[in-house]
This record gives sequence, structure tokens and C-alpha cells, in this order.
Amino acid sequence: MSESASGSREPARSAPLAAAWTVALFQLRRLLTRPRLALAAVGVVFPAAVMFAAGRAARGRLDPDLSVAMLYALIPEAVCVLGLLVTMCPVVADELERGTWPHVAVRPGGRRALLLGTWVAAVIWTSAVAILATLLALPVANVTDPFAVGRILAALVLLSCTGRAALFALPAVVMPKRALVASVGLALVVEVLAGVIPAVVNQATVSLRLRSLLVDWMHWKQKLPTEVQLFIDPQPAWVHVLAVTAVVAILLTAAVVILERRQFPPSEEI
Amino acid sequence: MISIHNLTKLYGSVIGVNDISVDLGAGAHGLLGPNGAGTTTFLGLVTGQLRPTMGRVLVFGEPPFGNPRVLRRIGFCPAADLGLGTTTPREWVRYLVRLSGFTAAEAAARADRSLEQVGLAAASRRPLAALSKGMRQRAKLAGAIAHDPDLLVLDEPFDGLDPVARHDLVELVRSWAKTRSLIVASHLLHEVESLDAGLAVILGGRLVASGTAAEIRDLVASMPAEVRVRCDLPRRFAELACGVEGVESVRFDGGEVIVATRHPGLLVEQAVMPAVHAGLSVTEVVAADRSLEGIFGRLVRLHRGVKA
Repeated sequence: MSESASGSREPARSAPLAAAWTVALFQLRRLLTRPRLALAAVGVVFPAAVMFAAGRAARGRLDPDLSVAMLYALIPEAVCVLGLLVTMCPVVADELERGTWPHVAVRPGGRRALLLGTWVAAVIWTSAVAILATLLALPVANVTDPFAVGRILAALVLLSCTGRAALFALPAVVMPKRALVASVGLALVVEVLAGVIPAVVNQATVSLRLRSLLVDWMHWKQKLPTEVQLFIDPQPAWVHVLAVTAVVAILLTAAVVILERRQFPPSEEI
Repeated sequence: MISIHNLTKLYGSVIGVNDISVDLGAGAHGLLGPNGAGTTTFLGLVTGQLRPTMGRVLVFGEPPFGNPRVLRRIGFCPAADLGLGTTTPREWVRYLVRLSGFTAAEAAARADRSLEQVGLAAASRRPLAALSKGMRQRAKLAGAIAHDPDLLVLDEPFDGLDPVARHDLVELVRSWAKTRSLIVASHLLHEVESLDAGLAVILGGRLVASGTAAEIRDLVASMPAEVRVRCDLPRRFAELACGVEGVESVRFDGGEVIVATRHPGLLVEQAVMPAVHAGLSVTEVVAADRSLEGIFGRLVRLHRGVKA
């Protein structure tokens, strides 16, 4: 046992982030299948269809602020969460199912690159779907300034995707085979339930930050009844962006640490 | 190269491998064991996918789990087939090389070189789903060798291959083993034997034998061998067999006499031949299988507590 592990040939090597980017590109290519594209098309069309139907039901007199609130509920909330559930949750389960996990797990830094790369791919894919949905829904929604609303929704989409993808990374690495169910549970408990509790606990949720940013950027604060203001945080926008960034950093670090220690026994021997 | 001491891996109450101690030097090694014997767990521990529950595994002098210095020097080709539909071998191998930390340009060059090496260059741009099992095995092998590892670990590489593909793959692995270290886990013993590899036999999570094929044969030769004799008067033949030196047991199975002996040659000389001369009609004498397959079968039976 006199051999040294450092005695290997040392060719040109790239940075760990490059490996994560490689995974992201690989995962994005794998998403280009007919079923995934069909699902994405549904995500793009669905908000526009709902807004069109709502406009018809209100006979063209849908309140512009209500339209923005509906777009927010449909796109940064519904489309993003659903998109991330199908792109981020299977990060480990898919590898196990396709027999690619052992190939990745034996690469130096492979586990970390797999998680971070899939997170990047999920954010890019879901953001693209959500922004296309915004572009399609805005013309049929009755909003006063479509360009401003579009910019606000795009920013909220990016924050929603980065934050929620990191949130769903945890169940994906802790319980890969039940990741979808666990993520739905987590979304309901953390984002919906804890997010509306007017206490310290909601400070850690992405939904509070998104709602607060929407109210801030749409200048709705003065219009909101006092009891509704309990469900938002009146701090400046940069605080919310920083909070989402911190949530992403903490959740992704935790997920990477867990995944690097995970062991998946060969099922045939159990 | 690999040093293992009292290695045990438990999955809850299920034993994966049980108290294995072995040193594997540089060169080729065959790991033999039927399905569920613990070979895949053993390889998982060696390749750093699993952590020992007890004991220690060192590869190139260091524990492999989560150790990039060791992982960089290992190439692993798992048993599971690749379930990547539209991905091409070229994309797959480049991807793996990139994950090993190489630049994009280096990864492309290495992927092309390894695909050429495994004879898959012509089909490297076809989707994996459109390739035969043998071609997908080659793609997996290309991915395992493209980063130029010092140790190549193959889990059931010949499983499900047609004879031609199997032969080609054996030749490929043999040529690799001339210059680098290799561990091949298989239950197809003749392929492992053809690699001129040192052998380790794992059964029920335990290492039951290790050494060269000849050493394992010698080990088994020192155990009683089974000789089956079919004749018209089995009881008369059994009487003769009982008097031969080295015979440990005699039993009847239908019209056959099954003799466990340490000296099968002596049995033929001192029991079968006299029986024929005495007028018994001996219609069949079958000695224990001396091929590695037979030895493996005997080790399995011994391990399960069945007398030879």
C-alpha cells in the first residue's frame, strides 16, 4: 500500500462549476422530449387560457389589479411550482431509475455537480416556460401597463424558480423515491401554510418574499386593508431578494451535504 | 492497490458483505459470486459509493468514499443497463469525462479516443436506445476508461451479450489488463478465467476463497470430490468403494452410487476396475467437474453446508 493517490496523470482540469454547468446542459437536452415539451406547452398556454376565460366571464371589465393578482397566482406560483416539481424532484430518482447514478457517484465531485447542475437546468427550463406564459397571458389580461407588469412578473418568476427549486432539492435527496409527494407536502406546509402565518416562521418562506415584492413593486401597500397587510413584509425590495438568496444558499448547501453522504444499496442484494 | 480489513456492510439487518479481509495488488482480479452474493456491494465499497459499516477499505492507500483523489483514479462500469433514450454514446462519454473534471476540449478528445478504443466510433452519434445491448455495454466501458483510470472496475460486463460481443469485450478487457489494474465481477466463470486474473470468490457476503485459478483448484482438490457410478448392483459396488483409501462417504441416489473421495483416481483403480472384473455391469462413471465452473459450484455447495 505504498502507492499515493496523488500519483495520477494530471491533465487540464476545469473548475467544479464547469462540471455543474455540464450537468445543466445535459439535463436540458434530456428535457427535450415530446412528453416534456407537451407539458411545457400546457404550462405556457394555461395562464393565458384562464385569463381569457376570466375576461370573458367579466365581460371585459376585469379589474386591472385583480388581473395582476391572478397572473401572479397563475405564473410565479402555480406554473413555477408545478414546473419545478417535474424538473427538480426527480434529480436523484431519475438517475437511480436510469442506471446512471453509479456512473455519476464515482466521479470526483459528481454528486455535487449533479445536484447543482439539475438545479440550474430546472430554473432555466421552468423560468423559460413561465416567462413564455407571461408573454402569452399579458395581451389577454386587462392590465394597465403590460410592460411594467411583465418585468415584475419576470423578476418574480426568477426568484420563485431559484427559491422553490432549492426547496424541492431537499426531499429529492432525502427521499428520492417519494420526492414528488414529499415536495408537494413541503410546498403546502412551508410555502402555503407557514407562508401565511404572521409570525417569525414565515420569514423563511419564498412565498412571503414574492407577495411582499409584488405589493411593493405594484405600489399596492396603501390600497391594502390593514388585516391583509399582516400577510406581507414591508421591508425594502433588496431585503427580500437577499432573503431568497440566503434561503437558496442554505437549502442547496444542505442538499449537497446530504447527497454527498447518501448511499444507495444495490437493490438486488437487499 | 486495495487493502481490505474486516470489511462489513450492513443494510439495516441485511448483510451485504461480512467480515472480508483481503489485499489485492496491482493487476487483474476476478470477483466471483452468484447473484446476491455481495459482489456488487463489494464493488460499491471499493469504488466509494458505499461506506463500510465496520472495518476498513483502502484504495491506493486512502478510503475511497467521497475522496476525489481516489475517485479520479477509478473507472467504474456498473451492471445496470443505461436507460438514456435519445442520448448518444458520444454525449454520454463526454458528459462523464467532464464530470471527472476535464475541460470541454479535453473531454471531447478523450471521449472520441475511448469510443474508438471500444470499437464504437461509427455508432457514437446514434441514440443509445437504438443500439444493441453489446453496443451499450461498450458505451459504458468507454465512459469508464475515457478519463484514463489506474483501476478499472467492471460489474457483470458480459451479462446479456451475444457470443461475438462477449468475445470482443473479453479481448478488449484483456488488452486493458496488460497495462492497468482491473477488477471484474462476474458469475460467468469462463470469461473471468480467460482474463488470467487472480480470483476471489464471495458467497453469502463472505470471501470463501482467493488466489489464482490454479490455487483455488488445489484448494478444492484437497476437499472430497464427488464421483457418481451407475451399475447394476449398487450395494455390491458400495462395499468395494468403502474399502478404498480416501473415501469419506458413500450414498445411494436412485440407481447410482455417489462416493465422496479425496482420491478419485484411487477409487477408479481400487473399486471401479475390480467391480468390472468381478462381473458388475458398470455403465457410467462421472467424476466431479474440474472446470472452474465446477469448482465454483462445489464452493457454493460447501458454503451452504452440503457435503461434496
